[in-house]
Amino acid sequence: MRPTATDPARRGRVSALGLLAALLLAMPGAAAAQAGMTHRAMLPGGWRMPPMDSEMPVLPGLGGAVPPVSAFLPGVGVDLSSLPEAKPSVVVEMADGDTLDIVISLVRREILGRDYAMYGYNGQYPGPLIRAEQGSTVVVRVTNEIELPSSVHWHGVRIENRFDGVPGVTQAPIETGESFTYEVRVPDAGMFWYHPHSREDVQQDLGLYGNLLVSSPDPGYFGPAHREEVLVLDDILMDDQGMIPWGGESPTHALMGRFGTVMLVNGLTDYHLDVRRGEVVRFYLTNVANTRTFNVRFPGARLKIVASDIGKFEREEWVGSVPIAPAERYVVDVRFDRSGETHILNSIQAINHFRGEFYPHVDTLGTVSVSEELAESAISQGFETLRENEDVQADIDGFRQHFARPPDYELETTLRVRNLPLSIVRLMEIDTLYVPPMEWNDAMPMMNWLSTGTQVTWILRDRATGAENGDIDWTFDVGDVVKIRIFNNPDAFHPMHHPIHVHGQRYLVLERDGVPNPNLVWKDTAVVPVGSTMDILVEMSNPGEWMIHCHIAEHLHAGMMFSFEVRGDAN
Amino acid sequence: MTAASVTALLAVVFGSASPGAPVRAAKAPVTCSVAEPPAYYAFPLVSTRRVPGSGRAAGVGQLTFAPSPFGLALSAEGHYRYRIALTVDRLASPAVGTYVVWVTTPELDRIEVAGAFDDRHAMEVEVDFNKFLVVITLEDAYDPEAAMWSGPIVLRGMSRSGMMHTMAGHGPFEQENCAAYGY
Repeated sequence: MRPTATDPARRGRVSALGLLAALLLAMPGAAAAQAGMTHRAMLPGGWRMPPMDSEMPVLPGLGGAVPPVSAFLPGVGVDLSSLPEAKPSVVVEMADGDTLDIVISLVRREILGRDYAMYGYNGQYPGPLIRAEQGSTVVVRVTNEIELPSSVHWHGVRIENRFDGVPGVTQAPIETGESFTYEVRVPDAGMFWYHPHSREDVQQDLGLYGNLLVSSPDPGYFGPAHREEVLVLDDILMDDQGMIPWGGESPTHALMGRFGTVMLVNGLTDYHLDVRRGEVVRFYLTNVANTRTFNVRFPGARLKIVASDIGKFEREEWVGSVPIAPAERYVVDVRFDRSGETHILNSIQAINHFRGEFYPHVDTLGTVSVSEELAESAISQGFETLRENEDVQADIDGFRQHFARPPDYELETTLRVRNLPLSIVRLMEIDTLYVPPMEWNDAMPMMNWLSTGTQVTWILRDRATGAENGDIDWTFDVGDVVKIRIFNNPDAFHPMHHPIHVHGQRYLVLERDGVPNPNLVWKDTAVVPVGSTMDILVEMSNPGEWMIHCHIAEHLHAGMMFSFEVRGDAN
Repeated sequence: MTAASVTALLAVVFGSASPGAPVRAAKAPVTCSVAEPPAYYAFPLVSTRRVPGSGRAAGVGQLTFAPSPFGLALSAEGHYRYRIALTVDRLASPAVGTYVVWVTTPELDRIEVAGAFDDRHAMEVEVDFNKFLVVITLEDAYDPEAAMWSGPIVLRGMSRSGMMHTMAGHGPFEQENCAAYGY
């Protein structure tokens, strides 16, 4: 059973009959088709339960339970050896008017010594790193050769609406064997990315993501750095037998999203970088994980935050780490002053719900070897300066008149559940004595895995009208500047943070919980922790029908989205 | 913050919200809300009634994230970095000494002196403990180097995270053998 796409504008529900049919049609052994897999721990329908902390007991009454959807793994029945071996990402420099062909296909990828059938853009992981000049237009012709309908969304780009890549809103899905040509005009400098907007909980997780780095024509746009490195952060859910299947008709892990157990940087489990002492490396970070928020550290090195989704901050700042939610991007300059080997870490305070405790957890994302050789000193010394970005401040000045006014619209996030197993409901009831602002780890893997988009509906609610998700009806005109307040309601069955993405426009995060943001940057995605209120100011500059949604892939496909219209002509 | 608003806040914090019940769409338009610190993470400051002039005192700690370019403020190790606004009503100024604010872990293995209350019996402190207590004591004088309080405790409060407790023996795990997990 292949994953079915959810029409974002007109999301339907899987009927009970459909579910039954799905279960009957589920292919036992589908999971085992992955190389080397055994039936040792096989559950009905080809399912395997995700790995759990040995301290966490199985929920009573749920032994042998499986999600009420079919299990999906890519390339079932395909001889792995017949698939092309996936290659690391290649940089593609594109001038105005250039065309790039991208093929979405099955690839053979090795992870931790085993081969898997996964997806790739042009057979690469991540997809090609496209570099373009601000203001240019590049053409990307996409051909879909995988078994699922797909599309390419150009995340963060204020692109012409018909090329935004949202099936059901801006285009029909690219069916197997079909092509679609995107004209990607890039009006802003920044690090953008591209990914499917059709069951991305499956397709993106299986490798369909890549970066689009748009450079400013101003050679002094950024401060000095010895070099630039792209870090694409991801994780994938596996156990000792291989990848845990995805949900066929609807995502599994609908409550908290699908946390991975293996960390990937640029698709690798062993990312490594060699630098010289004193070298300043400009890292472009993109979080492409389905749900994991990372807290990225470079122990022993000094960090300076420079830019985010759509350009630079008003001013640079020293930081100790970079918390980055799904779909966000940050640009951070890092100077390595001490020779020797250091690591790139994800450092979090995880929660053990069974014990009711926090505990420190560290993932090693990569290693950096710092040689004794000294890097060129002028750049190293230039790193000491924190720049005030007057160009950014001047751009934002035109919007400050709107900062203090009341919000024009208010959204509330919550969820509705039905038909969840009783054990899960009871567990949630006692767990809500404390809900953390952010979920940094999958503290309840079984409960999370068993919850599907057929049982959980994540909700964006217009507080003025009560309309939810696709029933929200907002219309604006080009040139409108709209203040939206987003409140993450903690009084819900299982509240969770949400990285909120606005398509086709740019926005400023003005305030959080009534506290003004002292250092603004243009964003397209920003996280709202549980209980928090975030005020954003959206510049409606780009006409068309656009999505707002949570960028936790499983929340998106559990309904947390709607579209709004911007009328008028492009400036 | 007035007594009424403190009462309202505590009702929110410890109120009768039914987390298991499905949330229904609002039937009528709601009025524009005021953006303020999340009520969910606010915690009450409760008097010990051990100090003259504090018997009717009540207060609240309201959490916002410390300033950060990411909005979400974290330490390098991943602890939330909070700014806590502490306010206390109906607390008499001491005839002798000063009220001093401390933050500590619940295990008291880390104790930090945060400062002295101002005349309004309010102050802001920053904390990056996962779970924490706020302790307000009456001291002869404020000593920024003090390692531990010596005066009587006037008020105390606990972060919402401190309410997170083991599930062993509760809910679906009520039949679980707690001894197997070291309890």
